[in-house]
Amino acid sequence: MLEILIVGAVSSAIYAMLAVGFTLIFGVARVLNLAHGSFYALGAYGAYFFTAHLKWPLLPAALAAIVVVALFGVFVERVLVRPMRSSQLAVLMITLAVALVVEQAMFLTFGSEYRNVPAFVDAKFHIGGVDVAGARLLALGVGAVVIGALWLFIQHTRLGSAILAISQDPQAAQYMGIPSDRIFSVVMALSAALAALAGILAGPFLTVQPTMWLLPIVKAFAIVVVGGLGSIPGSILAALMLGYAETIVGYTISTSWTEIVSVAATLLMLVFRPAGIFGRRAAF
Amino acid sequence: MKRDPLVKLAGVHIARSTFLVGAACAAMGLLAPAAMAQPKPIRIGMPTAMQLQVGRDTQDAARMAIEDINAKGGVLGRKLELVVADETENPETGISAIKKLTADEKVDVLIGGYTSGVTLAQLPHISAAKTIYLNVGSASPATNAKVKTDYDNYKYIFRVGPINAAHQAREMTGFISGFVKGELGLGKVAIVGENAKWVQDLVPLLKKGATEAGADIRTVEFFDAQTSDFSPLFSKVKESGAQYLVVILSHASSDIFAKQWADARFPMPYGGIDVKSMDGDFCDRIGAKSVGAIAGNFAVRAPLTAKTIPFFDEFRKRTNRSPVYTAFGSYDAVYIYADAVKRANSTDPNAVIKELEKTDHVGVPGTIQFDDTHDVKPGSTGNKGPSLLFAQWRDGCKREVVYPKAVKTADFAYPSWIKK
Repeated sequence: MLEILIVGAVSSAIYAMLAVGFTLIFGVARVLNLAHGSFYALGAYGAYFFTAHLKWPLLPAALAAIVVVALFGVFVERVLVRPMRSSQLAVLMITLAVALVVEQAMFLTFGSEYRNVPAFVDAKFHIGGVDVAGARLLALGVGAVVIGALWLFIQHTRLGSAILAISQDPQAAQYMGIPSDRIFSVVMALSAALAALAGILAGPFLTVQPTMWLLPIVKAFAIVVVGGLGSIPGSILAALMLGYAETIVGYTISTSWTEIVSVAATLLMLVFRPAGIFGRRAAF
Repeated sequence: MKRDPLVKLAGVHIARSTFLVGAACAAMGLLAPAAMAQPKPIRIGMPTAMQLQVGRDTQDAARMAIEDINAKGGVLGRKLELVVADETENPETGISAIKKLTADEKVDVLIGGYTSGVTLAQLPHISAAKTIYLNVGSASPATNAKVKTDYDNYKYIFRVGPINAAHQAREMTGFISGFVKGELGLGKVAIVGENAKWVQDLVPLLKKGATEAGADIRTVEFFDAQTSDFSPLFSKVKESGAQYLVVILSHASSDIFAKQWADARFPMPYGGIDVKSMDGDFCDRIGAKSVGAIAGNFAVRAPLTAKTIPFFDEFRKRTNRSPVYTAFGSYDAVYIYADAVKRANSTDPNAVIKELEKTDHVGVPGTIQFDDTHDVKPGSTGNKGPSLLFAQWRDGCKREVVYPKAVKTADFAYPSWIKK
């Protein structure tokens, strides 16, 4: 039982880091960013590149990877998404194209071979009779702290208030003098940085390869559909639900069945409550 | 002076000698291109997963063999030529690759393959194209079953390597009874495998064989190839009371499996068929997390035949990589086909098939002979054919063969966190 609690919490933390960024950029800029999984992949590849090729220590390598991915996120928003933001379909297409280009760029640069991101913690911990890898506990801890910090940032800072204002009523916020374009860039940078952090923390116990962007985007998509597109509390709750649902299915039925959970949850939610748990309106 | 008799040509009188010289020159001019032109090359079509190491090694090894054969004058005076098509791991793309190679490129033979599901989807199209197919990658016995039941339509299908899943199961059974139970004294075993066609073929055979050999199979678990968290699986295996974990892994899961096994200091050694663990760089690329694990290999750099060590060294020299199993099959397949064409004195598929059936080729992993389903005979049938060699990853990411005894290079060593 305790094992399910810990393993489920680790999965949920990684999912939450992915989904919060995905939902944040939708909530603020109404951008359904299919390149979000690429930020996750680039974070992991960045950490791999800085540690394996440039021989940097892990911490500066991870920080550098996060900064680079955040800047890449800003580039995608300003150069590719912004000119097309009036059309949801065009944004979907351009972000999907970014994801595919990143995948092919990784194939060409690093090949199809699996790569390794070193772990910050290599030790094993024994908690209440359950053996847990240090890298997983770190992912859980960092995930919880970062999402908590993001929440405080949004609720208690001037910039956070601006983000909140735009997500509630973009037109009114603009009339009040909030520079929406600059806020969109900040949010895209935050969203990309969160996804990159998830990739760096999950890299040591998962694997790094060019198609690794696909599964996270499917999970993030499922979570925000269940939680409600644009709702951060909804995403956190849905991440916990999905993380625990997959873990419980894995432990009680079979690991073969875990991957169907997210797809089934998305489908059921779209049929019975298209707005999601906390969504203000139907997403589609 | 005697005048040269005149010849009337198109109403013009010219000297006979001039006419003869001119006629000879014209005749030579017409004949020269035919006499001096290169004979048409023999085209080898290669459907393979180009972006994976198995696919790259399939191509590089075939090129090695082709360059060697062409340097010695080719086959029947014709050069060999390679045409590659990407079959990915997707059956539909695999079918397109076969159609491109047979209908558009009009190749004489197909050498390639990796995923059994793709190969099975390709079979009717290979049969319809009446083109010989030498499989060097996929292991499902189903790919060759129709050779026996519908010979006329499926006689084109051969497998040079790896040994099929049923033979692998037999050798794995030997590993469990002879090594895990016999040498290590661990009789309680768990079997886990990913959901892939060849694994589904293999696991029931393995379970039956191991039970008959006296092993106590505590649990059998399948998992999805996309699985990213093995904690639930490890928990079930631990709860089953097993002492040794037998794995059947291919495709994507090996890296994650080994990492999570080492990170959790899982209190049980594991080994079995682990396709990615055959990669020379597997241990290094996962940060040495596989140290202690065992994987069956179809060849290692050891004197299995006179060709094994020279092949490994030459492949590394040319590519700067250690070859994976598709490389052995691909290299041998080119030679086997070339020899059959020489013996048949033709590239006619029916004549070549008759010669291929008589193959007795000393290859990289062993002597290659085909059974009545055109499948490579394994070494366990007593013909020095290819066998599974179980190698353990050791400190420094070196490999030592721990089973079978005949080719053993070191004793098994438990992972550092497991007390014997």
